[in-house]
Amino acid sequence: MTRKPTKETLPALPGSSLLKPGFLVPLLAFVVAFPWVFQRSTFQNTAILVLLYAFLGQAWNILGGYAGQVSFGHAVFFGIGAYTSSLLLINTGLNPWLGMLVGAAVAATVAAVIGIPAFRLTGHFFLMATVGFGEIIRTLFVNLPEVTRGAQGVFLPLLESSIKNLMFRQSNTGYYYIILVMTVALFAGTAWLERSKLGYYFKAIKEDWEAAEALGVNATRYKFIALAISAALTAMGGTFYAQWVLYLDPYSTMPLMVSVQIALVAILGGVGTVMGPFLGAALLLPVSEVIRVAVGGGGRGISPMIYGLAIILISVWQPNGIMGWVQARERRAPQDQTGGAEP
Amino acid sequence: MSGRYGLFVMVLLLAAALVATACAGQKAEEKKIVKVGVIYPMTGDLAAVGNDHKAIMELAQEIINGEYDLNIPLAKTRGLPNLKAELQLVFGDSQGKPEIARSEAERLINEEKVVALLGAYASSSTAPASQVAERYGIPFMTPESTRADLTERGFKWFFRNIPYDRMAVESQFKFLAAVRDKGINVGNLGLLYENSLWGQGAAQEQRGLAAKYGFTIVVEVAYPKEITDVTSEVLKLKAAKVDTVLSTNYINDAILFMKAFKEQDFTPGAIIGLEGGMVAKEFIPSLGKDAGYVLTTATWSPALIETKPIVGKINAMYKEKHGKNISAYQPHAFTAVMVMADAINRAGSTEPEAILKALKATDYPGESLIMPWKGVKYDEKGQNIYGDVPILQILDGKYEVVFPFELASKQLVWPAPPWSERK
Amino acid sequence: MDLAVILQTLLSGVMMGFVYALVSIGLNLIYGVMEIINFSHGAFLMLAMYIAYWLNVMAGTDPVLAAPASGLAIGLLGALTYKLIIKRVMKAPALAQVFSTFGLLVFLEALAHFLWTADYRTVEKTAFSGVVSLFGLRVGLAKLVVAACAILTTAVLFWFYNRTKTGKALQATAISHRAAKLMGIDTDRMFLISWILGGATVGMAGAFLASLYNIFPTIGTTFVLLAFAVVVLGGFGSITGTLYAGLIIGLIENVAGIFAPAFKYAVVYALFIGVIVFRPKGLLGR
Repeated sequence: MTRKPTKETLPALPGSSLLKPGFLVPLLAFVVAFPWVFQRSTFQNTAILVLLYAFLGQAWNILGGYAGQVSFGHAVFFGIGAYTSSLLLINTGLNPWLGMLVGAAVAATVAAVIGIPAFRLTGHFFLMATVGFGEIIRTLFVNLPEVTRGAQGVFLPLLESSIKNLMFRQSNTGYYYIILVMTVALFAGTAWLERSKLGYYFKAIKEDWEAAEALGVNATRYKFIALAISAALTAMGGTFYAQWVLYLDPYSTMPLMVSVQIALVAILGGVGTVMGPFLGAALLLPVSEVIRVAVGGGGRGISPMIYGLAIILISVWQPNGIMGWVQARERRAPQDQTGGAEP
Repeated sequence: MSGRYGLFVMVLLLAAALVATACAGQKAEEKKIVKVGVIYPMTGDLAAVGNDHKAIMELAQEIINGEYDLNIPLAKTRGLPNLKAELQLVFGDSQGKPEIARSEAERLINEEKVVALLGAYASSSTAPASQVAERYGIPFMTPESTRADLTERGFKWFFRNIPYDRMAVESQFKFLAAVRDKGINVGNLGLLYENSLWGQGAAQEQRGLAAKYGFTIVVEVAYPKEITDVTSEVLKLKAAKVDTVLSTNYINDAILFMKAFKEQDFTPGAIIGLEGGMVAKEFIPSLGKDAGYVLTTATWSPALIETKPIVGKINAMYKEKHGKNISAYQPHAFTAVMVMADAINRAGSTEPEAILKALKATDYPGESLIMPWKGVKYDEKGQNIYGDVPILQILDGKYEVVFPFELASKQLVWPAPPWSERK
Repeated sequence: MDLAVILQTLLSGVMMGFVYALVSIGLNLIYGVMEIINFSHGAFLMLAMYIAYWLNVMAGTDPVLAAPASGLAIGLLGALTYKLIIKRVMKAPALAQVFSTFGLLVFLEALAHFLWTADYRTVEKTAFSGVVSLFGLRVGLAKLVVAACAILTTAVLFWFYNRTKTGKALQATAISHRAAKLMGIDTDRMFLISWILGGATVGMAGAFLASLYNIFPTIGTTFVLLAFAVVVLGGFGSITGTLYAGLIIGLIENVAGIFAPAFKYAVVYALFIGVIVFRPKGLLGR
């Protein structure tokens, strides 16, 4: 990295057409107005899940998409965030917002410890190591009842409804706006990251970490930074989840399937892009929710069947995720100034 | 190109499935209808349970809405006479996930306008779903979630029919003490339990009660429930010279353990289960004669099909439809529908407060229950005080009641004969 | 802890090791040749177990004898998977490959649920029941049969891999797709063969396991995580490595089960991570 990249020399980043005001302003207006337009609780709950998973998917994306370290163990950080704030709330009465920050710090620390062995590995080996750590830490959660209450799980106390308490008893609108603000902030941060020096280092590591090292980028150090940021953010999502569902236990809060779902959202949307995790979440969760509600009790496996089929079809048709379509469209529209500088 | 064709088929399948689901959503509404929401895992690992429960609950709905000559409140009349309405169960799928159980509870309350909720099997789903009901002020009745502290949350709208784990464990120890009083050597206890919410909770109760009743626990073996090989766990029990095993297992692990007990020639004087796997419908068919002499607590027993006429009748109706006997926790689900419908009918209104009042006043007669209970009546925490927990033993391939001794359908066999002497 | 318990633990660890190895070999074949992790491997195993189950119910076939049928059927499924899905994502990012097979896993498990409900099923008629006792050590006959089949399958595969022209072509393809192509090897055909073989071995494994385990739609996921650990530990592309790794994991699991059963899988994963950190290519990987 001898030459500092400047605005003029930058090629358009993939998917940048989704970051222009023409797209973002209507989208923002839509998500802000959403709870007023759609008052049915199914829609609101689904929307909260979409935003939560967009948030988690983006947190994953920083490590898995930008820095290229694919993890299937993020449920651990999610669980750590959820448990830390909840246990602090129950045992010491600490405000959940502060608990969220403590949880993020704990998750980042655990992530750093995991990173020491895991970053000696790459590719599928790294992935398998994260799966292993996920199982190990979940086992610890089950078997340390003195700290985590073990498999018995944790009931959160019902607090006064308020933003300060991060709890709303009758309506979901409060939860919706909180996760919306968190998600918008994270996405804005990611858009900044994409253009920042840090973001470039991440991408350099992803493309070719040996070359990056040769250019003087301390690859390992930046991998740790990416992992710590990613883990801390995932933990914050965990705290939100705990305050929303009000119940935690290791088997239902941090199973492997949660790790997979977090990664899936980012991957189906398009890894290493700002809007990818949102698109992935916006497609994946409503599809499974709508099917579930439509099929209702008569499920008998139809809804996961469609879900599985949808995942296959997307990976076959558009392996770069939904962002692949967006990029293809961008390439077809060269009259667009920013989209024209395609390499 | 054949590949392209295959892809086309996949798309067609997807489209067809979507259309099918859209059609399934349409329903004609004519009569006055009272909706009760039901949340169970219909997909995922626990799907078998959810679908079985749905089947028997639909039978309950049929009995309520039709005219049947059964000694059950609401059976002889059509629907809910005091409201001149039909009962409609609306099912939701929790997928066995807490956040989905929560969403489904909200959906059923807000969109389906259900007047009460039933569910949700796993305590990890019942906890958040009942929290939603509490927030909205809608009665929530769990037929089968046994986690003790569900009724310790100070909830106003929560009701539970099944005796919870502590009561079942208490029954295990009353039984052990009674056996000891008969001069049988109970010996050293070993705890074997699956290491999640249920097993850990049961073990905790067992530790406390063992001390209280003066029994010694010499070894505890907790194992992860997704276990594939249990030989070393069995060897650990065997090496500790355990005489009586208190075993808390799901069905899959229960079968693995029984096979390994035999393989390793380990015959404790008694194996006493805590419902779950030991009473699952697959337990005896999977193990055949190797399931013999196993003891278990059971809030319901298949022996009732023959001994209690009303159970036989309901079982016959169910069998005609689904080709199999009712089993495990299905009777609990059936009972919940009946008790809830009865309360709504007595309330004569769909106002939540009125239903709550009627539920609190519930005194459901034992003879109309397909359970072995004296009846259904709730304490101030919403716990059914009439739930008894008999002990069953598998003898000649059937569940027989062996305790309380005065209700025994067969004589207790203790100690169980060693594997080598069974034939 | 007396000697008999220790020996018995080691023996049952070895028996389980063969089971794990048998389940994992197909996964390794595919990964070795194509560098694609087949997440639907567990679903393949599950379908094979159902095939053995239904043959047992309808024709009374012993599950072990059902192995050729289920091997054939799952081999065919492997071929279909390659033709319909994998071939299309081969040039795609590795993530798309991972998720296409993950989607297939979800789909197949749901399909099994739809067709056969989520009930637990057990093979009832089997010739290989009972216990073999030797010097006070005891092992179920069904497990012995599975172990024997695992050894046989591994031996046949080993022979095929190292002694036949196709096997050598597979190895060449595994080393470098491009070089293999330049040498005139039809790599597309090799990929197809690896999927057929991978499917067939797990298909046979499913039949062998059918008499040991309850059968339900998500049974495969129980094994597949351990199978991944076995494959990584043994080294991608090494058949004998998979066998050794299966044995190691079986042993660790059983020994850990004596001392701390609640932590047994945590111990397996911890050792697994330890090994791959110091030997990232696995024990016998290239």
